[in-house]
Amino acid sequence: MNVQNPLPAFRPFVAAGAAAQKPLDLVEVRYRPLPNAGGDVLLTNPFGDWVFVTQGEMSALVRGQLDDGTPLHQKLAAKNFIRSKISVETEAKRLARKKRFLAYGPNLHICVVTLRCNETCVYCHASRADMDQVQTDMSPEIGEKVVDFMLQSTSPGVTLEFQGGEPLANFPVMKHIIEYAVQKNRAYGKQLDFTLVSNLGLMTEDKLSYLVDHKVQICTSIDGPEALHTKQRVLVGGNSHREAARWIERINKKYIELGLDPTLYHVEALLTTTREALKYPREIVDTYRNLGCRAIFLRPVDPFGFAKKTAGRIEYDRREYHDFYRTAVDHILSLNAKGEEILERYAAIFLTKILMDEDSNFLDIRSPSGSAIGALAYNYDGSIFSSDEGRMIHEMGDDFFKIGDVRTSKYRDVMKHETVRALVLASIRETQPDCNVCTYAPYCGIQPEHSYRSQGSIFGQMRQSTLCSVHKGIQDFLFEKLHTGDASTVDTLKRWTTIRERSHFIQSSAAS
Amino acid sequence: MSESTDLAVSLGAGTISFEIDGSLYPQDALYGAAYVFLDRCYVLLDRVSDNRVRVLLRGKTKDAALDGDALAGEFQNELLGQTWRRKIAEDNRSLIEAITARALGGAAGPPGLDDLLEMDVGSETAFDDPLGIAMSWEEKYAKGKSDAAKTAKDAAPADAAPAEDPPEVTP
Repeated sequence: MNVQNPLPAFRPFVAAGAAAQKPLDLVEVRYRPLPNAGGDVLLTNPFGDWVFVTQGEMSALVRGQLDDGTPLHQKLAAKNFIRSKISVETEAKRLARKKRFLAYGPNLHICVVTLRCNETCVYCHASRADMDQVQTDMSPEIGEKVVDFMLQSTSPGVTLEFQGGEPLANFPVMKHIIEYAVQKNRAYGKQLDFTLVSNLGLMTEDKLSYLVDHKVQICTSIDGPEALHTKQRVLVGGNSHREAARWIERINKKYIELGLDPTLYHVEALLTTTREALKYPREIVDTYRNLGCRAIFLRPVDPFGFAKKTAGRIEYDRREYHDFYRTAVDHILSLNAKGEEILERYAAIFLTKILMDEDSNFLDIRSPSGSAIGALAYNYDGSIFSSDEGRMIHEMGDDFFKIGDVRTSKYRDVMKHETVRALVLASIRETQPDCNVCTYAPYCGIQPEHSYRSQGSIFGQMRQSTLCSVHKGIQDFLFEKLHTGDASTVDTLKRWTTIRERSHFIQSSAAS
Repeated sequence: MSESTDLAVSLGAGTISFEIDGSLYPQDALYGAAYVFLDRCYVLLDRVSDNRVRVLLRGKTKDAALDGDALAGEFQNELLGQTWRRKIAEDNRSLIEAITARALGGAAGPPGLDDLLEMDVGSETAFDDPLGIAMSWEEKYAKGKSDAAKTAKDAAPADAAPAEDPPEVTP
């Protein structure tokens, strides 16, 4: 199956034939003729700079015609494409700054406090268990060991993210872990925060008061309009969408009562884009707006958990996803043009790299990936995995990504585990055919678990990778928007790169 | 009875065979590609002539309908992929090694007290000096240079870095 986006047929090297040659003073350049850029060609360099040239300019470049003082030379020199005009020291510092995440270990620690779940979802990533399967609950002792392990990370900041199943099904242990972590962190002084990923179906006023009092950030899943959401997420004896919507409203109100800025403090929601969802790009965006969400993450369905079994019903050609993405984000941009502030997360991640020359350390889109060295997942029984995707693959019967156990493993041994070394090597862009010459390499990243699950190898083949197709399609779209030069659009895209820290959720590490 | 296509020759009974030009592909890539098929096929590599290698694949399950062309094509794509990855890894070796070392070192951090205590330093080995680090410069190089240096090198374990050459001394 061809999963890549079709590009315009523009073959400057073929056209130049024997006259083709590399200009001597040009740095390594990758080019991409975008589908909707009026024939212009995007150039990028390894430092992350980019520029558009016309097909005529590109044809001149491939013939080695790049004289000093010409407009083309000046345009390329201004963007660090001319070797003699760049400072090697400055560029080295830029790259080191963008790779600074390499100096630290995992900052995201996903704690699966139970596999039990009150909802049944068509794409369930987590391989859920029924509500009576209490043997899949994490014990308080295992929870303490998870915290002890997490605090050994070399990262100065750690986020403990509670997942499931439905984490609220094992709320007493979750509370115990929170209190134990806050107390233990007094000796470590790390920047500690907690996140709960919940369908909110088991939320109560008491639980909410505890979570708000203990500054736990709350995230949920919304698949779109009520009919779509309830079709994909079945809550026995209830309406999953109404329950989630009711609690989102209640939680957001609670934040306002605390005097928190509602534009920054509100429930975050995640979308899983199924085949059915592709029909409703605008309606999904509008559902998020109506729930008070300021951000939407248009994630395609993953091949993990139950999603693999139900792929025949919920999977789709990634070119259909590209159309969905473009329609949805165009709708979001038109809302922004009318003064409404809402952003798309995929776009924000890439734009931060493209426009701000920064790396926001999103673990699935960086090189090397955040598998193990950026994130760890702890199963209810204390098993440690290189990521939550690796844990899901374990639940499907494959222990490839299991790298330790909180009861017996030492932190440094886990970080030096042979699987971790392999994951790092497999997710460095410069080891990967296609990525090594890709125009989008400076901004992109590989997720080895996705390659393993969908292609049978952590190295994968990008030509057949649906994730590569998604990343390329989104970046094509964003660069086309930047190419228009439309002031309103470009201003909006720049605004999406602004990172506002939610400092309220950071726990105090001072002794009380 | 055999049947030929562009990609392979079917030998019947779930067996296919094809030849490749051994000068185009490194031997490691050939082994790597063959290894990928071990769960599905019995694999035989045979040298036909100086630069020709014959690959024979036989499906492990006799009742499974073997699509010989698909299998041969998959093998040939895998061989190309392994060869190209190897070339890319060689070209970018320095960068890959630097990033990997930085990533793993940054994540693991320096050894703690527990790690140091667990190191194999017994009473019989605590004062070993296989590289002659505790020796003075004169002991190591000036007086009885050849004997001292020889002792240090002889005592070094096989995977230790070689002792440095003595520095040039200007009177």
